Amino acid sequence: MSLWKEYLHPQTVEQAVQALSAAASPAIPIAGGTDLMLDLQQGNHPPVHTLVDLTGIPELRALEIRGEWLFIGAGVPHNRIVESPLAREHAASLVEACGLIGGPQVRNMATLGGNVAHALPAADGTIGLLALEAEAEIASPEGRRRVSLPALFRGPGQSTLAPTEIIVGFYLPLRAPGQGSAFVRVMRAQGIALPILNLAVWLERQEETIRAARVAVGPAGPTPFRAVQTSAYLTGKPFTAETIAGAQETLLAEARFRTSPARATAEYRRALAVVLLKNALTTAWQRAGQYPGSNQQ
Amino acid sequence: MTTIIGTAVPRIDAYGKVTGQTEYSGDLVMPGMLHAKILFAGRPHARILSIDTSAAEALPGVVAIFTAKDVPVNEYGLQINDQPVLCGPNSPLPAGEGTGVRADIVRFVGDQVALIVAETEAIADQARKLIRVEYEDLPVLTDPEEAMKPGAFLIHPERGTSNICVHDKIRKGDVEKGFAEADVIVEAEYRVPMQEHAYLQPEAGLAYVDENGLLTVKAAGQWTHVDRKQIAHALALPEEQVRVQYPAIGGAFGGREDMSIQIVIALAAWKLKRPVKIIWSRQESIIGHAKRHAMVIRAKWGARKDGKLTAARNLFIADGGAYMYTTNKVLGNSTITESGPYFIPNIEGDVIGVYTNNVPAAAFRGFGAPQAAFMAESQMNKLAEKLGMDPVEIRRINALKETDTMAVGTLPPNKPTVLEVIEAAAEKFGWEQGAVSRNQGSVNSHRAAVKRGRGFAAGFKNIGFSFGYKENCWARVEIHGQAEIEAVTVWCAAAEVGQGNHTILAQIAAEVTGVPLSRVNLLTMDTLNMGNAGSASASRLTVMSGNAVKGAAESALEKWKNEERPAVAEYTYLAPPTTPLDPETGYCTPNFLYAYAAQAVEVEVDTETGHVRLLRVVSAHDVGKAINPDLVVGQIEGGIVQAQGYVIQENFITRGGYVLTDQLSTYLIPTIWDIPAKVESVLVEIPAEIGPWGAKGVGELPYLPLAPAITAAIHDATGVWIDQFPLTPERVLRALGKL
Repeated sequence: MSLWKEYLHPQTVEQAVQALSAAASPAIPIAGGTDLMLDLQQGNHPPVHTLVDLTGIPELRALEIRGEWLFIGAGVPHNRIVESPLAREHAASLVEACGLIGGPQVRNMATLGGNVAHALPAADGTIGLLALEAEAEIASPEGRRRVSLPALFRGPGQSTLAPTEIIVGFYLPLRAPGQGSAFVRVMRAQGIALPILNLAVWLERQEETIRAARVAVGPAGPTPFRAVQTSAYLTGKPFTAETIAGAQETLLAEARFRTSPARATAEYRRALAVVLLKNALTTAWQRAGQYPGSNQQ
Repeated sequence: MTTIIGTAVPRIDAYGKVTGQTEYSGDLVMPGMLHAKILFAGRPHARILSIDTSAAEALPGVVAIFTAKDVPVNEYGLQINDQPVLCGPNSPLPAGEGTGVRADIVRFVGDQVALIVAETEAIADQARKLIRVEYEDLPVLTDPEEAMKPGAFLIHPERGTSNICVHDKIRKGDVEKGFAEADVIVEAEYRVPMQEHAYLQPEAGLAYVDENGLLTVKAAGQWTHVDRKQIAHALALPEEQVRVQYPAIGGAFGGREDMSIQIVIALAAWKLKRPVKIIWSRQESIIGHAKRHAMVIRAKWGARKDGKLTAARNLFIADGGAYMYTTNKVLGNSTITESGPYFIPNIEGDVIGVYTNNVPAAAFRGFGAPQAAFMAESQMNKLAEKLGMDPVEIRRINALKETDTMAVGTLPPNKPTVLEVIEAAAEKFGWEQGAVSRNQGSVNSHRAAVKRGRGFAAGFKNIGFSFGYKENCWARVEIHGQAEIEAVTVWCAAAEVGQGNHTILAQIAAEVTGVPLSRVNLLTMDTLNMGNAGSASASRLTVMSGNAVKGAAESALEKWKNEERPAVAEYTYLAPPTTPLDPETGYCTPNFLYAYAAQAVEVEVDTETGHVRLLRVVSAHDVGKAINPDLVVGQIEGGIVQAQGYVIQENFITRGGYVLTDQLSTYLIPTIWDIPAKVESVLVEIPAEIGPWGAKGVGELPYLPLAPAITAAIHDATGVWIDQFPLTPERVLRALGKL
């Protein structure tokens, strides 16, 4: 009993979206396949006829500076992001997130595009990207467009991508002086496990003041959650214990933490959110104080 | 004499296993082989009204579907026959007419309802989905304390008027007098969880009728001869008609003592006269075989100012799950070890096992002793705290001596060496040098929220079967050659479950006959032409099969010297007799040998997230004589990793009898990143008169002290006692008062 009938290897983005439209259906894209193959094997994904492998498309494997942006192709595996000096310089929260996903074998295979397209509310890579205010480039048979990351999520495990669309890559604003980010997470007590809670912070400091901040956390709702009220609260405040306490309170008020029977209670997640926010803010603040290029973590 | 005893020779099975040449049950293939799948009940308690297999049978490629009506004697069990082979109506022998089991009831989610046999695995799987079973749900009992109440719905009404299936008692001395003499009292309630064995190889097997008409079952187990007995019973065949052989075994840990797939594939092969193979998925394995007993333990212990224990009163309530399996023996072992390796003049103990609709509980490395040790050692650590005494010192003061009676009222059969292992562990750890440095944080973290602490515990366990079982093991040795010995062949049915038993047996045969290891051949794990070896359990095989092979080899060597060619000898080693627990007082001589262990550990607690990390373990063991020191260390390190999973990472979650953690992505076992950076094994070798070259057993001992040592270290780090595990971050944070 094979898991698919046809396996296609497009070499360009246009061939890929063409294949998704034209091939015998159901046709779906595959990159690292670390979640998809398990779901197919265990019958948790409806049967497919055609798998369209995106990993042979050079554009999706690019990781480079494009003007004012860092471009990370959707097919770049997590281990490459972790090791990339460009990513370490400009996207600390993403690097930290990617370094915690699965084990080494999973990180060698699994891609950032897959992490986002799966649309899970606590996907580490996604949370790391959300705080960086990344944009995604989408390709469809009609052409390409750029969307903000939150526009990609419909619900748990559901993206807004049409069946014939793929993510080409992500555009992240380059880090400017005074900016820094951080990602932290708590998982169950095992080296390889799903997160109980994860949280990313980006901020810009001017002297001792937070000029701007962005906080993302998961799982805290049906889609990856941007804590916009907490971000707004932090903006313009001095970096003090009082500010952190206020931000913690704001986060607890706006995020909806829930109980997962086999993982954690909502109560525990609330306690962790407070700890993770403080730790991530502190780290991001320290990083923001380091001049870009000094290459310190 | 050569010096192969005490030498760390490489495992004789290493090459085949490392290179993938060794065949495990799942690797077996035969021409004309059929594939089987089992339809599980998937519900915790229900009466089966009807089973409709017609649609499944009509599927092309389906060869046969077996249900309760096809099982000649529809009952089995390692201790008592209280479980149907296949659940459903119309068993050939209804309850009361030859069997005592109501076969139309499913009592847990893993009860088996139908066996589907088809030309391919995929067809069998597809056919399984086409079977329609009509159930009438029954009340589901999942809490043993509820299930044991009078008037509770009976899970086995044919077995009496209560769901209590075991009640062992200890009545030694006068506990009230003992408590009156005490200066300090510690009372606490402990809760310990179920645990999944998570052996590498899920259940699998191949059954066929051989050219001589023998029904042959090849499936990993722990005791070939009792597997055969249970298969023969259910199929109403004479035992001689059935042959059980073990391919290589991918771990067992007690979880392969009870039947899983053996009887049903034997039934299908016997009826169809074609080879039938089955492989369980991990999910099927997790719901389909028994677990470690979850227990609630309430304890009250007293001690005098000088540290001497005066009395203990313990109540254990264990979740036996849906069937007996080995619950009676496991709880017997909790009963024996509920004093810890200490002299307590007055003890009152009640150890109660209760039927519920949870997955059955049975043997698991340690066999009831880890649960008792968690209670006993925690009580000792708390008494030490109340007395302002060092935890090592209070153990020295109470360590069991040759002249002290045990909980069962009789003297220990061999000299207790608990004091020796306590001293060895304390010395290696540097216990007397003082506390670990506080608040230093982990290598990766300099946060003040991360605290460190150290803890100490000891443990003891029987080696060999207990309670009046006539403990025996058979072996045969053949010496071939003319002028000099060219080959030595050892026959012994003992199971190599990964512990290294076959290497030990080869070393023993080589030592006695004076030949290099390369000239020793082993024939093992078979019922054909082999006597009983007993189970790979109770840390018993080094002593039992070691003595059997030693005796047979010595006897064969005598014949060799008397010019017999080949020189052949059989020998059955009989251990000294034991006696069962007295039903009212527990008075008995339950065992012929005990081994002792002590551990000191260092842990790190993140007081913000609740994460506990085990940093260092020193584990000291009296193994009598390490026949192969590397294998002994392997057992200690492996045991500690598995016990660490039990205490920290693993978390078997059930709800209403359903298993929520039925995959290894939800049931987390330790990975290489989780295990302690440092495990230091200390081998203390105080020979046991009874063992070969003085050897004792070691397999289960590393399990016993770890949980109480870790919770003591958490207390040292945070000032809080946590009397329940697994130590999930959430539980730890709650205990610290932060939730």
